Amino acid sequence: MEIAVNSERTKRFARGILNNVVWLILILCIIIFSSSIDGYFSIRNYINILSNSAFIGILAIAESYCLISGNLDLSIESVAGYSSIFSAWLTGTSVSSSGLNINPYLTLVLCLVIGIIVGFINSYLILKFKINSFLVTLSTYIIVKGLAITLTRGAGVSMLPGSFRLVETIKIFNISLIPIIMIVIYIIFHFILQNTQFGAHIFIIGGNINAAYSFGVNVKSVIIRVFILSGALSALSGWLMTAKANGANPTMASGMLFEVLAAVVLGGVSLQGGVGSLLGVFAGVLLLSSIRSALNIMAISPFITEVIRGLLVLFAILVDSIKRLFFK
Amino acid sequence: MEVLIRVEGLFKNFGSVRALNNVSFEIFQNEVVGLVGDNGAGKSTLIKILSGNFPPDKGDIYLNGLKVNFKSPINAKKMGIETVYQDLSLCSNLDTVSNLFIGREITKNFTGFKILQKRKMESRTAEIMKKIGINIPSLKERVEFLSGGERQAVALGRFVAWGQNLALLDEPTAALGIRETRKVLELILQIKKEKKDLSIIIVSHNLQHVFEIADRIIVLRHGSIVGIRDKSSTTPEEIVGLITGAISIKK
Repeated sequence: MEIAVNSERTKRFARGILNNVVWLILILCIIIFSSSIDGYFSIRNYINILSNSAFIGILAIAESYCLISGNLDLSIESVAGYSSIFSAWLTGTSVSSSGLNINPYLTLVLCLVIGIIVGFINSYLILKFKINSFLVTLSTYIIVKGLAITLTRGAGVSMLPGSFRLVETIKIFNISLIPIIMIVIYIIFHFILQNTQFGAHIFIIGGNINAAYSFGVNVKSVIIRVFILSGALSALSGWLMTAKANGANPTMASGMLFEVLAAVVLGGVSLQGGVGSLLGVFAGVLLLSSIRSALNIMAISPFITEVIRGLLVLFAILVDSIKRLFFK
Repeated sequence: MEVLIRVEGLFKNFGSVRALNNVSFEIFQNEVVGLVGDNGAGKSTLIKILSGNFPPDKGDIYLNGLKVNFKSPINAKKMGIETVYQDLSLCSNLDTVSNLFIGREITKNFTGFKILQKRKMESRTAEIMKKIGINIPSLKERVEFLSGGERQAVALGRFVAWGQNLALLDEPTAALGIRETRKVLELILQIKKEKKDLSIIIVSHNLQHVFEIADRIIVLRHGSIVGIRDKSSTTPEEIVGLITGAISIKK
């Protein structure tokens, strides 16, 4: 396929636009929704959009790291779900809880450890037995999901100590700590990806794993660290869900995986590895959240929401292909 | 001239096929040697042994007078032997700077984080590209958007930056157009001039190219060396004769 692209400069300009197209769409969407939907244009709604994107947002960082390194982590959703029910089970006082009354911040540590262990197992299996990451994490996804349901025999847990909710109840300018935590994590992980040797190696491995090996990049160590981070971030996301909801049930994070993948692809992360930026991913997360909010306010059927979300992902994939076909 | 690498009596069989048969030669310091021969003559086998992909059945390799025994390509790399297989060793998703510094990023330690020194890496890259006279439109452009010749220049730029001892170039111009081929050949000569500690073995099917850049030419036929010629004392006709067997050596 060929189109007439005159100069290198126009090409680069067009590529630049396509690389940041998600921000353009986000801004357009917010302008259109704000001007056409009653009740959309309010600070409170914008804060809501931000707050509602926190869990997906943190999971999207985890998935972006994995995808850029050329891997896929399906287990993020069930690690988040397990972390959510596990922390509630340890701290809650309702019927299905453990009755142990453990300090909620100790449960955060325990959840992170579990996330790290799952991440390590994922990477170990991928590296040791050279199994595709899709298959490995599909297995751990199912196993951890099963463990979450087993923990309380499917029941939910409530009546958590008030101190658990501090991240939700403390507010700065009317914004709870949860979205602020997300933004801080975005800044840190964006910096790591763009400005450290570890980040550079993630891109190298995702781009050409053979070159990485032969130029002495420690591929194993990088992949292990990526999956450990992914597990830890997923666990954190699940713990925050419990804090916000003041309780948990074993299916807390169900369906988030596909929303995360949608956000990440919209944000310009290539499923083939080696390409992506957390700036774009952040916009992708906000875009999905703002569309969800619009559909909510208009009281549109949630089933249509799914269709629209699907169309958006398709659009994102098309933009990615256009980049590759036309501007080679 | 000092001998950089000496190969003595290499044999290699693949099943009943004799790929290398008593191959011995020397490569001098800062020399470009063309390795030619028909398909199946043993060129690739020889390159793969020198780059540590597999060991010979028999025979020795001496680097700077010391016997070496490569167990893997990384082993050979540590001894300063690098191989370029067209542009397969590039990360097309990254820019020129990142590609040049794969596995050798310049970093500064900051509380356990190794922070990239991007400015330093960029200026070093610009320096190297200038040294070899290659003008890449933007060093921060992803390599996949560069032309074939520019990509090959990036791959070769690594020798300028890091190469020492021996560079093995396996058909470096095979995938390139006429103008880009010309550039890459000039580049190889430029590298030779700039890097006095580097010798180059180039495998090519194109005798014209070999004659342009090589100091000496080694001809392989059926796994044996049938001729080693100084460029100045041979002709393309003689080399073709040796490759095809029209000129046979006296035993």
